[in-house]
Amino acid sequence: MRRPASDRGSAELRREFLRRAAVTAAGLFVVTTRGVTQSGPQTGAPQSAAGGVEMTSDSYKPVRRDPKPGAKPGMDAKQVEALERNLACPCPCTLDVYTCRTTDFSCGISPAVHGDIQRLVDGGYSADEIMAAMMETYGDFILMQPRKQGFNLLAWFAPFAGIALGAVAIGALLRQWRMNAVRAEAAAAGRPVAEAGVDATPEELARLDAALREER
Amino acid sequence: MILVGELSLWVALLMAAWTTTVSFAGGLQGRADLVKSGERAMYATFAFVLLASIGLWTALFTHDFSIKFVASFTSRNLPTPYLFTAFWAGQEGSLLFWALIMTMYSAIAVFTNRNANRALMPWVTGTLGVVALFFLMTMAFSENPYERIDWIPADGRGMNPQLQNPGMAAHPPMLYLGYVGTAIPFAFAIGALVTRQLDHQWLGAVRRWALVSWFFLTIGIVLGMWWAYVELGWAGYWAWDAVENSSFLPWLTVTAFLHSIMIQEKRGMLRKWNVTLVVLSFLLTILGTFITRSGVIESVHAFARSSIGNWFLGFLVAAAVLTAYLVSTRLTDLKAKAELESMVSREAAFLYNNLVLVGICFATLWGTLFPILSEAVKGDKITVGPPFFNSVNGPLGLLLLALTGIGPLIAWRRASLVNLRRQFTWPAAAGVAVFATLVALGMRDPYALISYLLAGFVFGTIIQEFVKGVGARQSMYGEGMAAAFVRLIGRNRRRYGGYIVHFGVVILFCAFAGLMFKRDVTATVKTGETVKATDPYGHEWVFTSQGISTFEQLNRRVMAISFAVTRDGQSMGLLSSEKRQHVDSNGEPTFEPSTEVGILESPKQDVYLVFTGAVDKDTAAVHINFNPLVWWVWFGGIIMAFGGMIVMWPQARRGEREGGYVAQLPSAREQAEAGTPADALAGAGA
Repeated sequence: MRRPASDRGSAELRREFLRRAAVTAAGLFVVTTRGVTQSGPQTGAPQSAAGGVEMTSDSYKPVRRDPKPGAKPGMDAKQVEALERNLACPCPCTLDVYTCRTTDFSCGISPAVHGDIQRLVDGGYSADEIMAAMMETYGDFILMQPRKQGFNLLAWFAPFAGIALGAVAIGALLRQWRMNAVRAEAAAAGRPVAEAGVDATPEELARLDAALREER
Repeated sequence: MILVGELSLWVALLMAAWTTTVSFAGGLQGRADLVKSGERAMYATFAFVLLASIGLWTALFTHDFSIKFVASFTSRNLPTPYLFTAFWAGQEGSLLFWALIMTMYSAIAVFTNRNANRALMPWVTGTLGVVALFFLMTMAFSENPYERIDWIPADGRGMNPQLQNPGMAAHPPMLYLGYVGTAIPFAFAIGALVTRQLDHQWLGAVRRWALVSWFFLTIGIVLGMWWAYVELGWAGYWAWDAVENSSFLPWLTVTAFLHSIMIQEKRGMLRKWNVTLVVLSFLLTILGTFITRSGVIESVHAFARSSIGNWFLGFLVAAAVLTAYLVSTRLTDLKAKAELESMVSREAAFLYNNLVLVGICFATLWGTLFPILSEAVKGDKITVGPPFFNSVNGPLGLLLLALTGIGPLIAWRRASLVNLRRQFTWPAAAGVAVFATLVALGMRDPYALISYLLAGFVFGTIIQEFVKGVGARQSMYGEGMAAAFVRLIGRNRRRYGGYIVHFGVVILFCAFAGLMFKRDVTATVKTGETVKATDPYGHEWVFTSQGISTFEQLNRRVMAISFAVTRDGQSMGLLSSEKRQHVDSNGEPTFEPSTEVGILESPKQDVYLVFTGAVDKDTAAVHINFNPLVWWVWFGGIIMAFGGMIVMWPQARRGEREGGYVAQLPSAREQAEAGTPADALAGAGA
C-alpha cells in the first residue's frame, strides 16, 4: 500500500513514536521474560484457583528476641491486629497475617507468625521494633506495601508522576487546539494571527488589532 | 463424539489459518471471492471449535478419565452442574472456552457486517482469524484439552472446592465474554488503520462491541467480587490481587474509550487517542491472560505455572509492535477535524475523565508489575498489597467520582459562567447537604466523608439531569411524569442509560466507603456460650453457640457451627458457617478443607460469620465481621449492568424518534441564546 504524500510530513513525529514504542516493548519484554525465567515452568498436576496452592510451612521463619527486662505488653489486641494487617503472610495466600489467620485454619504459617508477634509484644517490644525484627528475618517481602525509600520510592512516585505528565500533556493539547481554533476564526475574519514567539494570546492580539483599527 | 471433538480442534486450526490467509490476500488483492471465502472459513472455524467444545463437555459428563483434563478437574461424585463448569476450571479447558467465545464473536461480527464496512472487513476477518489461530495453536501445540494419560485412573482428582460455587458458573463466562469482546474493536481498529478509513464509520462498528465488552466485564468483575466474598472467607470482595487487577485494567480503558468516543463522534477529535484506547484494551486483555497463566506473578487465583506464558508474551509483543507501527504511519490520517472552542467544555472534562481512568489503569498495572521490576533490579522480593493500591487509587477514584458529576454539567464546546452557576448550584448543594448531615450524625472519617460528599454531588447531578429532561417533555408534550420519564430514557438511551450507569457507580462508591466502618471480633466459644459485639450502628448483638454438628453432604464431610443471633434483644434467627472436607468417591479427602461462611444479609450491613476451626468437639473458633453496606455493592453492580443494557439497546429509528426529547448537540450560538444546555436541548428536541 502506498503512503500518501501528506503522511511524509509527519516523519519526525513517527520516528519519535516508533522509538518510544520500541523502548517500551523492549523494556516490557526484558522485565517479563526475566520473571518467566526465574519462575520457570512447573510440571506436574495442573492446579486451578485458590485451593490449588499447597500451604507449606517451608516459608515460615521464626522471629525470636529475648524479653526486655521487666517487660510488659505494650500493645493491646487491636494494635496487634493493626500491625498484622501490615504484614504479608509468608504462605502463598497473598493475604495479610491477620486476615489469613482469622480466615483459613488450614494455614499453619499465619498462626505461627502471630505467635512470634505476640511473644515479642509480651516481651515489651513496640510495633516499630517488631516490624524491624520481621524485616530483618523475611526482608521487605513481609511488608504489605513497599517502603517509601530507595528504589521502592519509584512504586509510589511513578503513578502520580505519570498522571501529572498526562495532565501537562492534556493542558498543552487543549491550549494548542484552542490556539488553532482562534487562528482559524481570525483567519476567517481576516484578522492577524498570533505568531510563535509573540507574548500575547490570539484573543489579546485580536483586541489590539481592533483597537488599532478604531484609532485609524 | 469425543474423538470428533478432538479432531475438530485440528480442523478448526486449519480453518483459522485459512481465514487469516485468504482474508489478508483478499484485502491486498482486492478480490471479493477470497474475502468471501475467508468469511465462510470464519463461520467454519466457529463450528469446529463448537464441536471441539461439545466433545470436551461429553468427556466431562461421561467421566472419560483417559483425558488428562477430565481426570484433573472432575471426579465421579462431583455434582452434575459442576461437570458443566469444569470446562473452564483448568488451563486447557479455559483456553478452549476462550476460543469458543472468540470464534462465536468473530462469526457474529462477520455476519452482521456482511453488507457493511466492506472495505474494512478483509482486515477485520483476517485479524480475528489471527487471534483465533493463536488460541487454537496454544491448545494444539502446548495445552491440549484432549491430551491423554498413559493409564486410566478409577476416579478423577476432583474439582477445587472453592470452584464448587454457583458464582463460578457465571463469573468466568461473563469475564471471558468481556475480555474477548475487546478483540472485535481491535480487529476493526486494525482494519481502519490498514485501509486508512479512520473516519466515524469504524467507530460506529466498534462502539456496540466495546459496550458489549464493558457490559460483560462489569458483570464478570462484580460476580467475581461476590464469589470472593461468599467463598474465600476473608470478609472482603477485592484484594487487589494480580488476577483481579488483570480484569480491572481493560475495564478501565474500555470505560475511557466509551467516553472519549463521544468526542470523536460529536467533534471529530481524539482520533489518535481512541485508536490507542481500543488497541490498549485488547493488549491489556492479553497481558492479563499472560499474568494469569504464566505464573509470573503470585496470585491465589492464577492457573498453574506453565510455558504458555511465553506464547502470550510473544503474541503481546508482536501485537504491540504491529499496532505501534500502524498507528505511527497513520498519524496524519488521525489528525483531529475540529478545534476546541473553550477550555471549559464537555470535551475538556472528558479528557480529564480519560486521564484519571488511564491513570488508575497505569497505577494498577504498575503496582501489579512492580514486584517483578524490584526483583529484576534489586534482586529483592517485595509485596505490593492492598494498602498500596488503596493509597494510590483511593484519591484517584474520588477524583473520578467528582468528574462523573462535573462532566454532564458542562456544556459541549463552550460553557458560560451563567451556565456553570445554574448547572452546579443544586448538585453542589446536594453534596454539601449530605456532608453536613453525616457530620451532624457523628461521622468523622475523612475518606468516607469526602466519598459521601462527592456521591451526593453526583447523585444531585443525575437527578437534575432527569428532572430537567422530564420537565422539558412534560411542558412540550403534556405527558405525565412516569410516561415522560420512560420516554426520556427511551428516546435517548445512550445519554440517560449512561446516567443510570453513573448512578450505579455512586452506589458502589457509597458501599466502598461503608467498609471504613467495618468491625470484627474473634472468639472461641463452647456450646451454649455467647459472644457479644457492638456493630458500627451501635446495636448490641449476642451470638449464642448451638454447638458443632458434623454430617455428610454430596461429595463432602461437613462440620458446622450454628449461632442463635439476637440484635438488641430481638431474635435475628440462626447463623451457620461450615468447614468442608471434600472427598473422592472412595471417601478419601481430596483437597485442603474449605470454609463456607454464614452471612446475615441486609442493606444496612452484613453479619459475616467464619468458622475458623474446631478446638474440640464442643468448642469452635470463630471470626464475626460486621460489614456495612456490602449489599449495595451487588445492587450497584446490577444498576450499572442495567444502565449498560439500556445504552446497548438499539436506538429507535429516526421516524419513531421525531418529536422526542432527543439530546442533539446545539450550536454555541443556540446555547448562548438559550442560556443553559437543557433549554437549548429542549429547543432542539422540539
